[in-house]
Amino acid sequence: MAGFSELIKNFDKTRDYVRDFFIYGCKVRSDFDRKSIRTYGDEKRRVESWMGDYMRYEDSVHGRSVSISVDSGHIPENPLYNAYYSRSFTDNDIRLHFLIIDILNDGESRTLKEIVDILNTDYAQLFDEQTVRNKLREYVEEGIIIAEKSGKTLYYSLSSDRADDYIRSFKGLDDALRFFSETQHFGIVGNSILKMLGLKNDLFFIKHNYIMHTLEDILIPEVLTAMDDKRYVSFMTFSARKQKDGYALGTENQVVPMKILVSVQTGRRYLAAYIPALKRFSAFRFDYMRTLKKGDICDDYDNLKNKFDRNMSRCFGVSFGMRRETGTVTPMKITFFIDEDKEHYVLERLEREKRCCTLEKTGDHLYTLTADVFDPNELMHWAKTFIGRIVRIEGGTDTVRQRFYNDISRMNRMYGGDEDEHIQ
Amino acid sequence: MNIFSEIYGTYFRIAARLLENEVTDEKTVRETVQSEGFRDSVLFLPQKLIPGSEDWGLFSRTADGNLRRITKNAPVKVLTGLQKRWLKAKLSDQRIRLFMDEDTLSALEERLAGVSPLYRQGQFGFTDRFSDSDDFLSKDYINNFRKVLDAVKHRKIMYIDYVSGHGKRISGRFVLLKMEYSPKNDKFRAYCYLLRSGRIRSSGIINIGRITSITDTGSVFRTPVSLEDYFSSRKCSAPAIIRVTGERNGIERFMLEFASYEKHTVRDLETGQYTVELWYDEQDETELLIRLLSFGPIIEVLAPKHLRAKAASRIRRQAELLTKYGTENDPCNEKTEEKEHF
Repeated sequence: MAGFSELIKNFDKTRDYVRDFFIYGCKVRSDFDRKSIRTYGDEKRRVESWMGDYMRYEDSVHGRSVSISVDSGHIPENPLYNAYYSRSFTDNDIRLHFLIIDILNDGESRTLKEIVDILNTDYAQLFDEQTVRNKLREYVEEGIIIAEKSGKTLYYSLSSDRADDYIRSFKGLDDALRFFSETQHFGIVGNSILKMLGLKNDLFFIKHNYIMHTLEDILIPEVLTAMDDKRYVSFMTFSARKQKDGYALGTENQVVPMKILVSVQTGRRYLAAYIPALKRFSAFRFDYMRTLKKGDICDDYDNLKNKFDRNMSRCFGVSFGMRRETGTVTPMKITFFIDEDKEHYVLERLEREKRCCTLEKTGDHLYTLTADVFDPNELMHWAKTFIGRIVRIEGGTDTVRQRFYNDISRMNRMYGGDEDEHIQ
Repeated sequence: MNIFSEIYGTYFRIAARLLENEVTDEKTVRETVQSEGFRDSVLFLPQKLIPGSEDWGLFSRTADGNLRRITKNAPVKVLTGLQKRWLKAKLSDQRIRLFMDEDTLSALEERLAGVSPLYRQGQFGFTDRFSDSDDFLSKDYINNFRKVLDAVKHRKIMYIDYVSGHGKRISGRFVLLKMEYSPKNDKFRAYCYLLRSGRIRSSGIINIGRITSITDTGSVFRTPVSLEDYFSSRKCSAPAIIRVTGERNGIERFMLEFASYEKHTVRDLETGQYTVELWYDEQDETELLIRLLSFGPIIEVLAPKHLRAKAASRIRRQAELLTKYGTENDPCNEKTEEKEHF
């Protein structure tokens, strides 16, 4: 495979592949028909190289399938971080990185010309001023180098914030890094500090760990600054379902970002936002998003944010239903059968999981949950975790209620009613 | 300012590690690449570090064949602006108090005074996190957490008194292996072995928030412990086998929601259905079961028998409840079901 490199320029493209390998767990080359065979081969090899032992292969008549199988609850480090550590660079990039840091290591400030001269005289490295200036400017932005003006001349010095010094000075920081490097938000940044220090997380495992979120972290800093600046953002969305139906071009969106919503049970993260074109709030999945850019200032931001905060109190998950700005709210009542003496743990479960709903005792062993939420569908997905205890459902919509009754009927037949052959 | 930058990259990190010593050799270069690099880095990286036709010029060859760095000093480990902004954001996370005392936190706050946080807690929201999270600000909790953490690090044998999930008071001598955090529960727990007469009697998990007292026995557990053995002692003997259909976008939803499990997937190209084997910890079986049931009829638990039986029993009970309490709809409404199916 001539010209193959472990390193990448384009994170978005790799994000797609890693996601498909990771989520679906059984992709063969022919599934990636939107990409060339060469691209597939290169991407697969990169992912294999990063993921090492987590790759699984299976041969079938349809070809060799590749997947990533990770028991995310029992790993010390998110293997998908490797995608971030694979950015390609030029020979000059790496040479200048270590040489400039070496030149400024003594803590002195130097001008561009002095640095270029030292590169030439002390290290026998010829660089033109523009190349070195660009690198210095880049490192000033990264916060590695400090630039200070004296008269008309810029002086460059190395930042005095050193990772090893921080660890020595702030007791407990090393363990905090071990923990936060594997948890949200932006664990990858903590991991980069650990790596710099040659440390590893050997203390913590993370249960209910959706390691794929890290691939979306590439988009989120831009959203955060847009929120701070009260700006619009624009991005393309590519949903799996639409791609399957042939809409590979994606959809363009322009929205006002409100909040990042994280589901710790479904593995999804969303950007909750106001859509000016539709005059409504909605939530966009980050894993379907690409090419996110900040836009103009939104003059009405504070007003929209206030409305959003009010609306969030009636959001069971992330759906704002079909409502418009003031919209309709569909109250729903679900009654559960619970034997308080023997099954107090069920009551405790309802209390801790009911979110914005209220719960009250309404009869002997009967407890009714009232849900004043925008989208009863979201509520029902959760309510179905209580299958075996639901006495009745009132309110919501006919479709939602009927779907529940039908589901129970279908499941009852699926599992054989009283005579399940699988059980006997 | 972007984490996807070569300055954090694996190749830069390996080069920095090798530049720490004035003189190194080819063997060390290859070994470092092998241990710190990606699986295939050894095919690409050594020739960039070792003087030759492709190298970056970071080392020169000495008369005795070793490699001398072209820099004068070991590279310093400068924290980038992004890393400092991340640290600053963590200062407003309650959980940092589990690791650092108030004086240290104040000193770190002061050190990062001019840095703006990468994010504010209010910019994120957790939609489905349980409401009974651990009390990370409680002094008792912090003390217990730190004792557990210290015991994990040094394999100390601790005498622990705690209340189990079923409200039962339990005490004994434990060796603590690792800590676990769940973002769903927002709780810390510790993997442990219960000891009797200095020997492992059983494996377990203790919620830090349920510990009533924890004291150091002064002894250290010196027998080597394999975490793999610990996990396999708690793992299901046979995986759950689930058939997943494409109805209601079921495959994508299921695969994403169960992405955190170790699994093996087979796809039937004719029906488009997936058969998924999921490995799970036995003590989490009920949690798994209720999550599976929440997918309704778009998935089916095929095995193991006892898990299918539990699913069937809950569904049967559900159908009986709807009949007994006389719901407004007939749960066996075939006509509507067909309509909804398509």
